Amino acid sequence: MKKSSIIGLVTIAVAIAVIVSIYANTSTYGTFKDAKNTSSQLHIIGFLNKQKELHYDAAKDANYFSFYMKDKTGNECKVVFAGTKPQDFERSEQIVLVGQMEGNEFRASHIQMKCPSKYTQDKVNVTEVSAQKSNI
Amino acid sequence: MNTVYKGEHLLPEHFGHVFVVLSFGAALLSFISYYYATTNTNKLDRSWLKMGRIAFFINSLSIFGIGVCLFYVIYNHYFEYHYAWAYTSRDLPVYYIVAGFWNGQEGGFLLWAFWQAVLGNILIKRAKSWETSVMTVVTLSQVFLASMLLGIEVLGVRIGSSPFLLLRDAIQAPIFSKPDYLDFIKDGQGMNPLLQNYWMVIHPPVLFLGLASAVIPFAYAIAGLWQRRYKEWIKPAISYSLVAAMILGVGVIMGALWAYESLNFGGFWAWDPVENASIFPWLTLLGGLHVLIVFRNTGHSYATATILVLLSFVMVLYESFLARSGVLGEASVHAFTDLGMFGQLVAYILVFLAVSIVLLVLRWKELPITKKDEETYSREFWMFVGAIFLCLSCFHLVLVTSIPVWNKMFGTTIAPPANLVAHYNVIQSSFAIVIAVLSGFTQFLKYKKTDLTRFFITTILYFVFAAAVTALIAYATGVYKLRFLFIVVMFASVYAILANAKVLADAFKGKFKLAGSAVAHIGFALMLVGALIAAGTRKVVSTNEKGIDIANFGKNADEHENIMMYKNEPIKMGNYTVTYIGDSVVQPNHYYKVNYKRFDNSGKLIEEFVLTPNVQINPQMGLTPAPDTKHYLFHDLYTHITALPPIKEKANNQAEAAHGEEDDNKNYDAPVAHEVAIGDTIRFREGYMIYKGLNKTATLQNIPLDKKDIAIGAQLEVFAHGKTYQAEPVYLIKGNSVFVFPRKVEDVGLKLGFSKIIPTQNKIEIMVYQQPESKKPWIVMSALDFPYINVLWTGTVIMVIGFLLSIFRRDKELKTV
Repeated sequence: MKKSSIIGLVTIAVAIAVIVSIYANTSTYGTFKDAKNTSSQLHIIGFLNKQKELHYDAAKDANYFSFYMKDKTGNECKVVFAGTKPQDFERSEQIVLVGQMEGNEFRASHIQMKCPSKYTQDKVNVTEVSAQKSNI
Repeated sequence: MNTVYKGEHLLPEHFGHVFVVLSFGAALLSFISYYYATTNTNKLDRSWLKMGRIAFFINSLSIFGIGVCLFYVIYNHYFEYHYAWAYTSRDLPVYYIVAGFWNGQEGGFLLWAFWQAVLGNILIKRAKSWETSVMTVVTLSQVFLASMLLGIEVLGVRIGSSPFLLLRDAIQAPIFSKPDYLDFIKDGQGMNPLLQNYWMVIHPPVLFLGLASAVIPFAYAIAGLWQRRYKEWIKPAISYSLVAAMILGVGVIMGALWAYESLNFGGFWAWDPVENASIFPWLTLLGGLHVLIVFRNTGHSYATATILVLLSFVMVLYESFLARSGVLGEASVHAFTDLGMFGQLVAYILVFLAVSIVLLVLRWKELPITKKDEETYSREFWMFVGAIFLCLSCFHLVLVTSIPVWNKMFGTTIAPPANLVAHYNVIQSSFAIVIAVLSGFTQFLKYKKTDLTRFFITTILYFVFAAAVTALIAYATGVYKLRFLFIVVMFASVYAILANAKVLADAFKGKFKLAGSAVAHIGFALMLVGALIAAGTRKVVSTNEKGIDIANFGKNADEHENIMMYKNEPIKMGNYTVTYIGDSVVQPNHYYKVNYKRFDNSGKLIEEFVLTPNVQINPQMGLTPAPDTKHYLFHDLYTHITALPPIKEKANNQAEAAHGEEDDNKNYDAPVAHEVAIGDTIRFREGYMIYKGLNKTATLQNIPLDKKDIAIGAQLEVFAHGKTYQAEPVYLIKGNSVFVFPRKVEDVGLKLGFSKIIPTQNKIEIMVYQQPESKKPWIVMSALDFPYINVLWTGTVIMVIGFLLSIFRRDKELKTV
């Protein structure tokens, strides 16, 4: 066999191995219900229930933050995160959690939140402008 | 209805629009002219070439003009322009105004177009017989970039986004019906505080220069295929690929430096999609560069070399698509939202991809592809293998990073791996091992043929040597505690360094040609070593043992890195005794002083310093913390504020204190009365105080005393936290009433009142109010130790030196031929 064919085959083999490993590693976007039925980590998209308490008391434990989140199907669940409360968490529009259920609580290992202000400039513009209007 | 607006400065807008349209038109004309100059069969007719040059020159001038107008708008704070309003504000220092220039997408495109114009002019000077064909490709790219800035509606579709868009056109709001609306817009939105870092001033221009320079090797490849000059394009392409790869590499590392300094992403590399995308073209370009050299030396692997060079620029376009189209959405913290240019960005990629594929297919049969097999023990063979692995590493990055793209294309809902960082670390490390080992032993091989016994002996000798050095480093730095895979990465990198060091040593004996590559490879391997140690042995200094046990919480939770500190209460962290000692405000930043002390075993103070991490209060982003760092030669100590008591409430507290005694007392625990004689000691939670005596001539601010009044001060000396404070609460008899004027010792959270005189026992009564812990000022911070990061930066510098050596060498070759 020619060496170039060998390289070709090895390349294809590695490429397939890469694809398989990605396939094995990718998780899914799910709901809290899905999380209850699995022991693996998954992503949940939802939004913060702003009516319920956001608990972060640095004096008691600076690495404990809990809140209630509704997933896309409307199910609510308590979420616990081992860290501080992210800045401006109350203003978040959408939250993406990565983690798993433990008892009745969802233990998030990673929280990503989308704030209205961060990169969608125009939305803030409107609130800013309307606030200025009220000054008139 | 046309409203006449007051106070607007529309001159730069008019000029700006003229330049924007002119730059697009000139680019188009230049492209057409260069195209006809290339296809023209009459070689004596230079009119198309002249027109192409003039048009390109006009395009360059217009781009410069756009830049001047935009800068004028931003510098003068003309907030009637959306761009100035959205990205800058009045309080921004001048160097950040420069950064504000490329804060928005339009500025990014402008910068890219500017560099492409500069490079185009260099090519006009240097490319000689290649000018027409190469410039056809460059000007086509310039047409696309110029179109991104147009902001013109054609048949109901908006093309591009102009940096001179007025605020009142950008946003629909009732305020803009007022002719004097500008009077109400006093300030801009300001810059994203994360970008307020000096690296943001220099990193984007370098990165965009890198992106822009990737077009040159691409243009040479296309020109070579187009004009059937199959072998000639390789030589200049090697030189330009070296330049592009070097600048792109530097740009990426500068981005990493910014991420490291601002620490908002947990370190120098977070595998964020936008970060990954920035190294796609770098990896393929490096691969392409190696295969180009293989072809030049042996005549093998022509097709691979061409394809990789073409792919690199397509990757540049794909990178900008990922960052700018909004497709990454929630997957990235860096990405922009869609500015309505999704289609344009896709078209840019597709056109350049199509041109590449069509030319390759048309010319495939004519390409100088050899049927001969490569020698197994030649340097070229293994260089080729290494290049393939660089591309496989890129392949993996592209696949995972593009998950949101796949979801959009196929309507699926795949989520990225749950433990994304670990996934990337493991797979990319595997590639790094192969690439590092290859970059080592390949250097022992000769071009074309090698003496085998000698080769194997050297290789194995260096393997053993590298293993020993790795064991030493792993032990010294703590890398041995990591996964076995990462230790292998370390070994492979050390091997690459040693092997290339030998080559470098030989280079000094005469084979100086190889010095550049040896130095660059040493730099690259050093970067791997530095990245590995820094990322792998990062230590949390502020470990928090206190709190609810959530140990089986997932991997990240093992580190309880946030720790709460009350003012002036020292906490021991690792080798340091850390105290939060105070804060100060320079709007919009709040600075928190954190004192670090280190003692030796006998308790002697050997080091003391203060770090002042800050938090910026930004109207758009809320509180944004920025760390402060103590830099040592071999490690960096970070201090980062992660939570604070609400800052507004604190201001209210002070207001309350001014309100009255009653309210103020709420901030303290119930007072404790102590009857003391002179010399007596009163103990409290954080220290003690001694009653020294009475001051019979005490005075009070704002209260005039007449002769009948009696004001007596109790002199107290307070000892706490190794410091001494003086306090003199006053007891006042005015008329028939008694008044008590307490004194505060803020630092220890103490309020002292002189409440009674007991003449019979020669004693007085002191009321001691102590602030409860929760009312004392506090911060939550995390302290992190990043070791050996300087190895990474040193590696980068060495790699750049290697690139420069190679560039000079190739450039010399280019001139001598």
